[in-house]
Amino acid sequence: MVKIAKGINIPLNRAEGDLEINVEIKDGIITEAWSAGTLFRGFEGMMRGRGALDGLVMTPRVCGICSITHLTAAAEALDAIAGVTPPDNARRLRNLALMVETVQSDVRQAILMFMVDFANREAYGDHPLGKDAHGRYQPLAGRAALEVIRESKRLLQVLAIIGGQWPHTSFMVPGGVTSIPEISKLLQCRIIVEHFQSWYERSILGCSIERWSAVRSVSDLAAWLTESPAHRDSEVGFFVRFSRQAGLHTLGKGPNRFLSYGNFPLPADTAVQGTAGRMTAAGYAVGTSVFPFEADKITEDVSHSWYEQGAVPTHPFVGKTKPYASGQSGTLYSWVKAPRYGGEVIETGPLAEMIVAGNPLFLDLIEKDGANVMARQLARFVRPAALLVPMAAWLGELVDKRGDSFYHSVRSIPDGQGAGLIQAARGALGHWVKIQDEKIVNYQIITPTAWNGSPRDENGLRGAWEEALIGTPVKDSKNPVEAGHVVRSFDPCLVCAVHCLHKGRECGSVKVGSGR
Amino acid sequence: MKGTIICIGNRFVEEDCAGLQVFDCLQAMHPLPTGIELVEGGLAGLNLLPLLEQGGRVVFVDAVKGFTQSGEIVVLTHREILQSPGQFRFGHEAGLPYVLAILPKVCDGELPEDIVLLGLEGRCVEKTLEKAAKMSVAMAMHGLRDLG
Repeated sequence: MVKIAKGINIPLNRAEGDLEINVEIKDGIITEAWSAGTLFRGFEGMMRGRGALDGLVMTPRVCGICSITHLTAAAEALDAIAGVTPPDNARRLRNLALMVETVQSDVRQAILMFMVDFANREAYGDHPLGKDAHGRYQPLAGRAALEVIRESKRLLQVLAIIGGQWPHTSFMVPGGVTSIPEISKLLQCRIIVEHFQSWYERSILGCSIERWSAVRSVSDLAAWLTESPAHRDSEVGFFVRFSRQAGLHTLGKGPNRFLSYGNFPLPADTAVQGTAGRMTAAGYAVGTSVFPFEADKITEDVSHSWYEQGAVPTHPFVGKTKPYASGQSGTLYSWVKAPRYGGEVIETGPLAEMIVAGNPLFLDLIEKDGANVMARQLARFVRPAALLVPMAAWLGELVDKRGDSFYHSVRSIPDGQGAGLIQAARGALGHWVKIQDEKIVNYQIITPTAWNGSPRDENGLRGAWEEALIGTPVKDSKNPVEAGHVVRSFDPCLVCAVHCLHKGRECGSVKVGSGR
Repeated sequence: MKGTIICIGNRFVEEDCAGLQVFDCLQAMHPLPTGIELVEGGLAGLNLLPLLEQGGRVVFVDAVKGFTQSGEIVVLTHREILQSPGQFRFGHEAGLPYVLAILPKVCDGELPEDIVLLGLEGRCVEKTLEKAAKMSVAMAMHGLRDLG
């Protein structure tokens, strides 16, 4: 007999009600999924008619987690319009700030938002590592939970120094940066980064970054695990052991297409290596086959979103954001648009970065099991290993070259259009900006969560995590932790929403149910 | 005693912007009394922690729901904030109860001597925002004493 369950509720991303996932479950397997952003934000509309530079002040306030990230994208879009290349020192400072935000987000998401579910006693009370997981990750008390907050908090001092203030710095401007830290402050930043790296190696990896970088295949990973108790007991070691035993490598395949805009433009004179002028490569991948990234292939589809209907999918330079929430009952179900690349659904985020960059461990993981929850989450957890060494290198170069320029003069922003395409912690982030008479005439933002959490498009193709949910087994519809793992492995973030203290309400209880 | 006023919320969401509206009122009142620091906390969540490691008195200003009538102001003590049920799991939004609950366990500096929340319920008129701004300064200077 086929059993269909609808209307189950789980605390999905704890994003306080602005994301709703509806699923159909037949015989304990998810057979359909709809992802709905339930809050209209309309930042793009607020930007129109404002001064050309206002994106630098407004967009960082869109999100408390990604404020530096939005600032970077906004500044790069204006650089493009002004036709200016920031000097090397500005590149170094901008990259450093973005790296701090990314590293902080990666370790917090892993421990506090993903692995906290390993401490879910109803789901994992019988798991051989369940008791250990509880001691590590239980909210407000787990050893690792407290440690990651303490250590990631200290990194903020680097942002305060680089940005000249915290929170809400706007130190990036077209042409460069406005702050020139003193040598003593740069040295202080270096000490903070080195301290963080030392903790990351000791607690998260259980080995040096150099040793971790030698893990280049699934068999290397197995050998690394058994090589030392420090590896097994590290957070990454524990994650791999727990995930394998919980079958997380079998969940959450997704669209099997990946996109990275590339990240961290390289200074002209630097010891840090990269590809095509960026430290992190840009590209589009189908499985493990990587193709060049072509920005013109990006479009936004609104066929299932609560926006004015009738237009064909458009490139964000010409895209409009006109809310229209009535009619089309049942067809339209999200305030999130559906970005597509060459008409295809893609996944973005750390796993996409690893695949596009040709990281051998992740290519091997994908070739053996396909994209999955474990690989996606592991990519996020170990990404800081690739960032911390360049951070230290750029701080050293800043100390050595502090007398060089930090800013190329930009007197005004000319008429024109430009895009700031970067990798946020959660994946590809783009700001597309059009300026006329020193005013913003169009501003379109596509966030990583729009890519990963999009609704269906005009061809009926599901968004990335809608697709990843299909086939997910749910043992207990009252505690559907498996579905939570799948969506959380994408690190959904619709934080630019409401967060106020609400009497008697459970924060972040996100509905999973029918009735879209 | 040092006093810090931290205005939090989302400037772009109507039902969550009251704290930032009070921030704008306070900025217009500059200079604030000596020893009072004003911070636009926005959506910083856990990244507010370093601001809570400097001792003194801390006044949060934020929108609230379900505590009083729309358009009114409510003052919640540290204990009352922590009693908000079910808000102790971390999310990208990491609300105030989570931040305050974790604070004593991760603090590297000096804990605040007093923490209060000045909450604004629903849509507030300009007069209410100005009243909240003045109250936040008074609370940052003197605590809950003399509030009446």
